Amino acid sequence: MSRRSRAAVARSAGGDRTLTTLVGLVLLAGAVLVLLVSYGVFGTYRSQRPLIDPIAVAWVSTHVDLTRWIAIAAGVVLFVLGIWWTVRSLRPEPRPDVSLSELPGERLTVEHSAICDAVRHDAEAIDGVSRARVRLVGSPQRPALRIALTLVEGTDVRDVWADLDGRVLARAREAFSVSALPTAVRLELDATSAPTPARVE
Amino acid sequence: MRLLLRVLAPLLGLLLAVVGLAVVVETVTAWVAPTSSPLVVPWTSWRTTIEGLTWQSGAVRTVAIVVGVVALFVLLLGLTARRHDVFLADPVPEVTVTTSPRSLARAVGHEVRSHDEVVSASVVASAKRVTVKAATLDPAGEVRTAVKDRVEEMLVRLPLARRPRVAVSVTTTKGVK
Repeated sequence: MSRRSRAAVARSAGGDRTLTTLVGLVLLAGAVLVLLVSYGVFGTYRSQRPLIDPIAVAWVSTHVDLTRWIAIAAGVVLFVLGIWWTVRSLRPEPRPDVSLSELPGERLTVEHSAICDAVRHDAEAIDGVSRARVRLVGSPQRPALRIALTLVEGTDVRDVWADLDGRVLARAREAFSVSALPTAVRLELDATSAPTPARVE
Repeated sequence: MRLLLRVLAPLLGLLLAVVGLAVVVETVTAWVAPTSSPLVVPWTSWRTTIEGLTWQSGAVRTVAIVVGVVALFVLLLGLTARRHDVFLADPVPEVTVTTSPRSLARAVGHEVRSHDEVVSASVVASAKRVTVKAATLDPAGEVRTAVKDRVEEMLVRLPLARRPRVAVSVTTTKGVK
């Protein structure tokens, strides 16, 4: 298992999870702090002070300009972070075309759908595979394959592997003229009792 | 959990952006044109509401508790929305093979039910543990060993990356054989 084939298993939700966890932590810390102050952990006198503290008000009225700039900076940071996060998590996962040659005069790229159709055809020809879904992930320079195979009940996984590596992936590697092509295979075991009839094209 | 994260993450992002924008707009308005000050967010009326409150006020505590509960939920969502893929041994380097817990449970279920003595079975599977509950008309002890052996053998045949622990419980039900 290489890092790139591991990354191709599924779209990563790492960024979303980190940011969600951070937002949760910040909010929770704030709420706990307010409750601690409220129940007099930092002194009973402190808990009786007004929410809009005269000391804070005095500081703000002596440093009006500084407060404005701090508020504007905080607002801009929140806005940029929020927009970046939203765009990032709504953007669909790219389906890269593969560039085989970047030399001037002989640039050659292969379309995503062409590759995927070819690999799918090969994969569905394997004994025991009733359906295959194929897509490319990653960048045009460093693509990786993601294959989902639906297996017929009672199929030996090792046989499927041998065929997959020997026929399907070997052909794909040859077509890309690379020695190794990171691939993530997702198996649906025992999903159907009989192979589905061949696709009508 | 992952679906909820997919839905909530962009919404949280949007919320952050809106809050940030509101802060900037209100600050700049209050600075440049104080007469038209609360432009969108009625923050002056908010301030008069809060003015009489102390840290001890019930309203402050209630808001803090509500925010805390929501924050705990968001935190747990972020921590628990991980994938539950079951990894198989790699056939060749550069290839990663996975399957879903549901699919593994289905395969184990077929294997268990193909045993003659088993009349019904339910399976729950994860990468670490496979739990089988089966019913039989025969003495439970023998069937349990047989089923367990069968499942273990099947998991070896399936080349999983790490062998899950297999827990089998068999109950004897009444009926005509």
